[in-house]
Amino acid sequence: MQDIHVVRKDNRHLYEGYFDPYFRLRHEIYVKQRKWMALDRPDGREIDQFDTEEAVYLFCIDNDQLIGAMRAVPTVMPTLMSEIFPYLNMRGPIHRSDVYELSRIFVIPERRGEHAGPRVDMLLLTAIMEYGLSTGLTGFSIVLESWWLPRFERCGWKARPLGVPHMMDGMSVLAVLVDCDEGTWTTLCSQIGLSKPVLTWRGLTGVNRRSLPDISPRVQPTAQQAQ
Amino acid sequence: MQQLEPYWGRRALDFVDAIEATDSFAGVITQFEKIIGDLGFHAYIMARIPTAGEALAEMTVANGWPAQWFELYNRENFNAVDPIPRHCFNTLNPFEWKDVPYDRERDLAADNVMMRARDFRLNAGFCIPIHYDDATSAVSIAGERPYLDAETKSALHLIGVFTHGRLRALARPTLAAPARRLSEIEAEVLRWAARGKTAWETGRILQLSERTVRWHLEEAQRKLMTKNKTATVALALVNGEINL
Repeated sequence: MQDIHVVRKDNRHLYEGYFDPYFRLRHEIYVKQRKWMALDRPDGREIDQFDTEEAVYLFCIDNDQLIGAMRAVPTVMPTLMSEIFPYLNMRGPIHRSDVYELSRIFVIPERRGEHAGPRVDMLLLTAIMEYGLSTGLTGFSIVLESWWLPRFERCGWKARPLGVPHMMDGMSVLAVLVDCDEGTWTTLCSQIGLSKPVLTWRGLTGVNRRSLPDISPRVQPTAQQAQ
Repeated sequence: MQQLEPYWGRRALDFVDAIEATDSFAGVITQFEKIIGDLGFHAYIMARIPTAGEALAEMTVANGWPAQWFELYNRENFNAVDPIPRHCFNTLNPFEWKDVPYDRERDLAADNVMMRARDFRLNAGFCIPIHYDDATSAVSIAGERPYLDAETKSALHLIGVFTHGRLRALARPTLAAPARRLSEIEAEVLRWAARGKTAWETGRILQLSERTVRWHLEEAQRKLMTKNKTATVALALVNGEINL
């Protein structure tokens, strides 16, 4: 059974054993598979200047194995968008305590796609919404490849462009701001068949958070989704 | 890198804001046609790309092709040999029609489609593939001598993806009626603006101070994400938030 764990400075010590595998997985996926060579490091770990104490990670752990993850960095601190890609944002810098920047979402190849239970990538997207709602966030900024946009739209993530797409090494990349609200979260939960919050908050009793309700089942429209 | 004044970039962002606040299919289409028209495109199609056995007519989200071209295209089943939709399956990125890969000497069927398109003044075009897990769609736009450079292509990419997304979202049945965004007083103030009244005159009519009227106008503008009073009135009319 896979669980999504919130990992932040308050409870990082409980997950120390996962961090080295986590950075090595990032290297495997982002450098070896996706060929983002700017991230290459000789020690085989993909770790950058935004992996600070203030970063929040979602670790998807199944049977003690890390199978997927996502990172969120406060926009009141340096972010990919503020430091590396400022030209992707034409609407003005975002420095807000209620907006975090998302990055490095991945699922290990063996666990991608449809298996028993919800897709891990959808679970992660739903879980970060849950995290945002629980901790009072109103939005997420993301620098991403353009091909994500139709997928976001289809699952109910309202993404607003912050600038126009730029070609980088043959990839079309742009910056967006995604709303973090209860409507989006409940839509996502309904789509993947979740009826309640999923996050595991080990060792985080000190953190101020809102507890989210269970989701009452809704009647789904039967009209076809795909055209 | 960005030029000093990214005009088309700004226009694309304003366009996306405007269509996200537009609740009618027709309203979105009108704005789309206007902006691509300003870049020299007079025709477009947005559709899921049919696979073997499927007909384009059933997959179409929005059809801005000349009627006779659409009819010819379907009758001759050009989709089966058209290199444009074919290339959409092979690339994530938008591409100009002139750059679509096919053997110009040997693939006569493909060449024929491109040539016949020119009979309808579809001389040059730009295609934006849109990939879902289970399907590939595309937004393809064309004109006689459209304005295509790095900046406008980037703007068109954004415009294409978000227009397609907005139309798809509007086509999905919602469980609840879309909520009115404007409050009663905001709508009232806009109704008078629509009739040509100044903020001062509206204040006299509604027995509010001019400052209060301006405040409500600015709130309405913020909610509808428009740039000025005229645009706010226009959008509110299109959306049915106010009627004359």
